[in-house]
Amino acid sequence: MTSPPTGEDAGPRPHGPGGPPAAARDLPHDPPGGARVTPPSTPQDAPAPGPARRAARLLPGLVVGAVTLALPAVLDDSALTVYIFLGLAAMVTVGVSLLMGYAGQVSLGQGAFYAVGGYTAGILAVRGGPPIAGLLAAPVVAAAFAVVVGVPLLRLRGHHLAFATLAMQLIVLSLAGRLAITGGDIGLQAIPPFGWGSFELTGAVGYAYLTWGGVALVMLVTRNVIVSRPGRALRALATSETAAASSGVPVGRYKLVVFALSAAFAGLAGGIYAYYTGYVAPSSFPVLLSIEYIVMAVVGGLGTVWGAVVGAAAITLLVQALNLIGTAPGMPSYAPSVLSYAVYAVVLITVVLFLPRGLFPAAVARLRRAPRP
Amino acid sequence: MLSVKGVSRSFGGVYAVREVSLDIAEGEVRGVIGPNGAGKSTLFSLITGHLAADGGAISLGSERIERLPAHRRARLGVSIAFQGARVFRGMTVRENVMVGAHGRTRAGFAAAALRLPRHRRDEREIARRADEALERVGLTEWAGREAGLLPLGQQRSMQVARALCAGPRLLLLDEPASGLRAAEREALATLIEELRAGGLTIMLVEHDVAFVTRLADRITVLNLGEVITEGTPAEVRADPLVVSAYLGAAS
Ligand SMILES: Nc1ncnc2c1ncn2[C@@H]1O[C@H](COP(=O)(O)OP(=O)(O)O)[C@@H](O)[C@H]1O
Ligand SMILES: [Mg+2]
Repeated sequence: MTSPPTGEDAGPRPHGPGGPPAAARDLPHDPPGGARVTPPSTPQDAPAPGPARRAARLLPGLVVGAVTLALPAVLDDSALTVYIFLGLAAMVTVGVSLLMGYAGQVSLGQGAFYAVGGYTAGILAVRGGPPIAGLLAAPVVAAAFAVVVGVPLLRLRGHHLAFATLAMQLIVLSLAGRLAITGGDIGLQAIPPFGWGSFELTGAVGYAYLTWGGVALVMLVTRNVIVSRPGRALRALATSETAAASSGVPVGRYKLVVFALSAAFAGLAGGIYAYYTGYVAPSSFPVLLSIEYIVMAVVGGLGTVWGAVVGAAAITLLVQALNLIGTAPGMPSYAPSVLSYAVYAVVLITVVLFLPRGLFPAAVARLRRAPRP
Repeated sequence: MLSVKGVSRSFGGVYAVREVSLDIAEGEVRGVIGPNGAGKSTLFSLITGHLAADGGAISLGSERIERLPAHRRARLGVSIAFQGARVFRGMTVRENVMVGAHGRTRAGFAAAALRLPRHRRDEREIARRADEALERVGLTEWAGREAGLLPLGQQRSMQVARALCAGPRLLLLDEPASGLRAAEREALATLIEELRAGGLTIMLVEHDVAFVTRLADRITVLNLGEVITEGTPAEVRADPLVVSAYLGAAS
């Protein structure tokens, strides 16, 4: 996905006095492609067109919103569970897309922030804390944790950063499996459901609305950020930290903030997860989870907000379908897990080869090309 | 207004810049010339803060800046258009230029996420500055294009616009004319003259000696990391050291 970082920030590049002529030597100071993740695509902030076209642009969003709201009412319980997990994955993936697609920083450790959020809500809940406090604390603690680990980690770039964040997740999981406050390997059980006052959220329908409300919030925050001053700075530092800094962007601090923001999204999802399932343990947050988020973000289209949701939906539904096939009578017992691992690999490779910008941008481009009636 | 005193920087024991001192007056256009590898770009990086100096002092006005990180120096008014085009890919020309105003505005993540009044105010201010800078370098028609797809000449003008968008006190231009066509070069020269007329202090590195001579009030000549001479364009041209070290090497 990413190749090694280059020395674009090392200032002028080394060249001996007898090096190539100035013009040839100096042109590509920022090597194209290579170092960073796919360049972020231009966000949807074109100047507002006429009211009719504006309505036409809003329409798809309104339809999606209406369907999202209607679905919990028509889905059965097992489908609702999938719908909730899809939403939780989408919430984390929007953060991955922001971090990786816009700011150019790779994290293979988003599962750790999901876990921190889950444990934060879980610990507060089993100790009798008000659920609202747990739900708010989940993203806040995850973000604070990201700031603490981000200070040393974000000095790294490219695959170094990816491996370091992966290691962070392993450490978090191993700590969670050992500490008393997290319940060790057994984890936290019987976490009381979410609610406020005397009201308790017990049915899956309520959690579906809570989850998708969270998705909407996270998407709105991300969109608002990327089309404005801090977002432009993030997109700028993704291609050249040097040039961004010379425009006054505090590069280190901005990387830390976007890391924390993506962690907050994951933490919020983790918090909802804890209340919904009533249970968190180290085994709830396998390392594969973090890889899954990256696959979702890449498949849907890095650097697009909607792409993250599309990717999360595509992968979740695909894995679900394969699960049905894998558990069909006559299939070997290892079939479900082998199939779901295989799907990440196959889908990722297919998308990268044939739709390098991801499903969502490809679909939008296709719709735009289609003749208008 | 800019004072560099005894600044050095070495790479692996080899000096790229050695004991360089220079003083630039408010509103001056200072040319910096020298053969390839003379240390011109390194000197600029030391002034902007992209490289840390091994020793020496740099002041902007009355403020010592040699220990400040690059983004703080940018906020104090140091702007640079790098040698070669540094384009923020995946962003339009206008967005690229808008980044230049970052240090002049303050709306952060919270203001943007919540669409606070400060965010709206800053966005208006940034857009105004960017459009003005685009107009100055003649890129208004290109504003909506994806910057990475621009021809090289336009990418360089865009960099100058990005630097201007910050409203700098000191503008560093590292070989802004290389790779430009004659008409573009002429437009750049006119722009530099206008900026000088507006009182901006400029440091200009350029290979084209005629170009520098025409625009600079004074010229500093670097060779092997050291200042070999400094003076008015006429003085520098007449200096035998320059003829042998630079003009000789260049031909
Ligand atoms: N980042 C670096 N690492 C190692 N050597 C460098 C680096 N930057 C510049 N140099 C060396 O410093 C000297 C001056 O380079 P530079 O400032 O780019 O010269 P100029 O801009 O005058 O052509 C060159 O010999 C170059 O090899
Ligand atoms: Mg140079």
